[in-house]
Amino acid sequence: MTSALLTIQNLTVRFGGLVALDDVSLDIAPRSIQAVIGPNGAGKSTLINVATGIYGATSGRVDYDGARIDGRAPHAISRLGIARTFQNTELFGEMSALENVMIGADRHMCGSYLSSAMHGPAYWRTEQAIRAEARRLLELVGLGNDTDVEAAALPFGKQRRLEIARALATRPRLLLLDEPAAGLRSAEIDELNSILLDLRANLGLTILVIDHVMALVMAISDHITVLNFGRKIAEGSPQEVRSSPEVIKAYLGEKAAHASHS
Amino acid sequence: MLAQVLVSSITAGAVYALIALGFVLIHKGTGVVHFGYGDQVTFGAYLVLIGQAFIGLRFDVAVAGALVASVLLGAIIYLAFMWPLRNASLLARIIASLALGTVLREFLRSYMGPNAWPFPFLLSSTSVPVGGVLIVPANLAIVGVAIAVLVALYLIFDRTIYGKAILAACENSTGASLVGVHVSTVFLLIWILASVLATVAGILVAPLLTLSPDMGLIGIKGFTAAVLGGFNSLPGAVAGGIALGILEALAGTYVSSALKDMISYAILIAVILVRPQGLFGELTLKKV
Amino acid sequence: MTVRLLFGAVVLVIFFAAPHFLAEFQLFQVCLIAATALVVLGIVVVTGIAGQISLAQAAFVGLGGYGPAILAARYGVPVWAGIMITAVVVGAVGYALGQLTLRVSGHYLALATMAFTAIVQLAFIHSDAVTGGAVGMQMPTLEISGKTFASGGTLYYVVLPVVGVLFLAVHNLIHSPVGRAFAAIRQSETAAAAMGIDVLAHKSAAFAASGFLGAIGGGLLGLLSTYLDPSQFGITQAVYYLAVAVVGGMQSPLGAIVGSAVFVLVPEFLQAFQTYLGLVFALLLLVFIVLRPNGLVSLASDLLRIVGGKQQRGAA
Ligand SMILES: Nc1ncnc2c1ncn2[C@@H]1O[C@H](COP(=O)(O)OP(=O)(O)O)[C@@H](O)[C@H]1O
Ligand SMILES: [Mg+2]
Repeated sequence: MTSALLTIQNLTVRFGGLVALDDVSLDIAPRSIQAVIGPNGAGKSTLINVATGIYGATSGRVDYDGARIDGRAPHAISRLGIARTFQNTELFGEMSALENVMIGADRHMCGSYLSSAMHGPAYWRTEQAIRAEARRLLELVGLGNDTDVEAAALPFGKQRRLEIARALATRPRLLLLDEPAAGLRSAEIDELNSILLDLRANLGLTILVIDHVMALVMAISDHITVLNFGRKIAEGSPQEVRSSPEVIKAYLGEKAAHASHS
Repeated sequence: MLAQVLVSSITAGAVYALIALGFVLIHKGTGVVHFGYGDQVTFGAYLVLIGQAFIGLRFDVAVAGALVASVLLGAIIYLAFMWPLRNASLLARIIASLALGTVLREFLRSYMGPNAWPFPFLLSSTSVPVGGVLIVPANLAIVGVAIAVLVALYLIFDRTIYGKAILAACENSTGASLVGVHVSTVFLLIWILASVLATVAGILVAPLLTLSPDMGLIGIKGFTAAVLGGFNSLPGAVAGGIALGILEALAGTYVSSALKDMISYAILIAVILVRPQGLFGELTLKKV
Repeated sequence: MTVRLLFGAVVLVIFFAAPHFLAEFQLFQVCLIAATALVVLGIVVVTGIAGQISLAQAAFVGLGGYGPAILAARYGVPVWAGIMITAVVVGAVGYALGQLTLRVSGHYLALATMAFTAIVQLAFIHSDAVTGGAVGMQMPTLEISGKTFASGGTLYYVVLPVVGVLFLAVHNLIHSPVGRAFAAIRQSETAAAAMGIDVLAHKSAAFAASGFLGAIGGGLLGLLSTYLDPSQFGITQAVYYLAVAVVGGMQSPLGAIVGSAVFVLVPEFLQAFQTYLGLVFALLLLVFIVLRPNGLVSLASDLLRIVGGKQQRGAA
């Protein structure tokens, strides 16, 4: 698949003696919604962290849009059009929801240090534009009424959506979501699914979703990769993955795998 | 010449090691780098001075009194400041520890005056030649006491349940509760132990330096020793202290005495730049 | 917009009216507050907003004083030009120091900046030929196109406009994408970087700003005190500036002004207790960091919120 937007090739990541990822390869096609699932500690977050420059690869490589990106600085990767959310939310807690999103938008509109220090007319124009953009994105994820609430004071489900709005503000082409459904109620998960589907339909985004349970991602993913103990143990359509004995074994233990065979 | 320099430098090194040990104990055990620790060292020495010169106690009684007082001081620091700030930002905790040191220093300046006080040596400070090298009995005593303290600490950590709990806390803070001791009790013990250690170090250095409110600057030497030793390892702190003592003495003897003052700051910056994890520490990556 | 113009007009009126109501000594104190506030503004930017603890401010202040003094004594550079040249250079030094944050943060940064201050102070003390060593050196008098500014009454017309303009610029910067990026870095570096913010460049810029502001403040303080004493530029003084910031409120420029006013004026009221002054300041710092880490300004805004029933957002 040469047309993939993100290509991960033979990626291995070690922390001291611990192998978090072991020779994992993965392709993400443009405009697809893909999922990586696996039990806790399988190496899913590590995968995203390497792709966004937070961790380095021990060996292997990550390419985005035809250029190698592993080992580059996180901000440089962000500027290429990859945005992400964090498993344990990393919001700017003391800022309002609106300001959180404005930070994401700033880079696209900010003027020079000089205009920032002078607060001339041009500054006010861009400031208004950033504000409007941030407000629009908050409405998109259903936080239109929470713009002035301090991020740390939002309930958990809303914090997760705020992270998505903030990521969108950087105008990404690829969105990496680390367990966006964890801790959400099922109605909230449905809402999240429809937001993600809309994003692909309206903005042409490519989305990688991580989850440790299968339920959420099955509904909207085109393609699923399953990790266990840092290794890829299965991949394919939701249907294929669901019936893979390896996957059943990883999730339910040996017995269940035998049971499903007999 | 070289032998002389090395022998003399051991004295300073032993004291740096004690101070570094206090830093590392507090840092590893409770997650706080105590920027006021140097001032606690000064304060400890002043406690003896106050007991001896103002209350008229015998030297050994004054020392005992100072040690008891420093137990109290350690408990107060933990209960009144560090416990309430346990969930505060790192910035707030750093500033609070700086503030504690400043309060101790300014207290001494206000009540004991800004000038230096003479402080009694444990033994004679005239040197005797031993095998071609001049040895000062007072300095030997310092090294002796420092070694005794290190041995005592080792026994505490190795033999007592609280000592083990402290070590467990230094490894990770849930470890202490595994050993069956309350974490906050362990933290309290760490602060008390560190406070006593500071007083011992203060009594040992005061005769070497001049005892004034600003003697706390010696704290930076302790930092450097701790950083040199990785800031995370108790044996590393001791090694770092001795190493710094020797480096300082060599720089002071062979280059210039102005350099002797600067060298520990320069080492501090250099180690932080080249190996922020210290000579013996390991680098960890924040997990997200 | 009209609110801002009105505010500006009021400030101008007060500025020109004050000399008619205040005595020479009081004008001197106003200048002292303003110059101290400028120094502390550097801490507000780098520590309060960008979250990078710095104990380098005393060194910046020292360099800001010694720079123009040495330039004037050795090369005959006019003091005003010396102050500006030095501030730019010290800003660059601050930028370089900020590059340290690539490798260190938190405790280690505090230690490194502390060591920086100690080394700079030792350099002042040991470079006898240039700096006068431990004795210190005279700060030359400010002269601009033949007029000399040597008293509180005359320096008032230099110090306040300079400080005012710089405060305005910093206030604006804080309420701009640059300031938002600083605040983002303080709250989560990881997330800030994921938003495309070049964390290292911004931290360095914050350090550069603190160096620049500290140096200008140091130059002005030098003009006011007329003498440079190296003992005034050590770690103790670095903690003092931090204390001013904490007591006033580290997260806003207003805090720098409030804190400076407290620290300059309190000694006036405690004249009978001069020996306890240091202790009072240290206790203030300790009490505030434990009970009110965001300083007097936050106390005032909390009171306003209680009285007004609602918090006002974004009012400039
Ligand atoms: N920064 C790190 N330092 C050390 N070990 C890490 C780090 N990040 C992840 N790990 C380890 O790598 C393994 C995979 O972690 P992670 O990618 O977070 O798993 P998942 O997201 O699938 O739950 C785990 O064993 C974890 O402890
Ligand atoms: Mg994870």
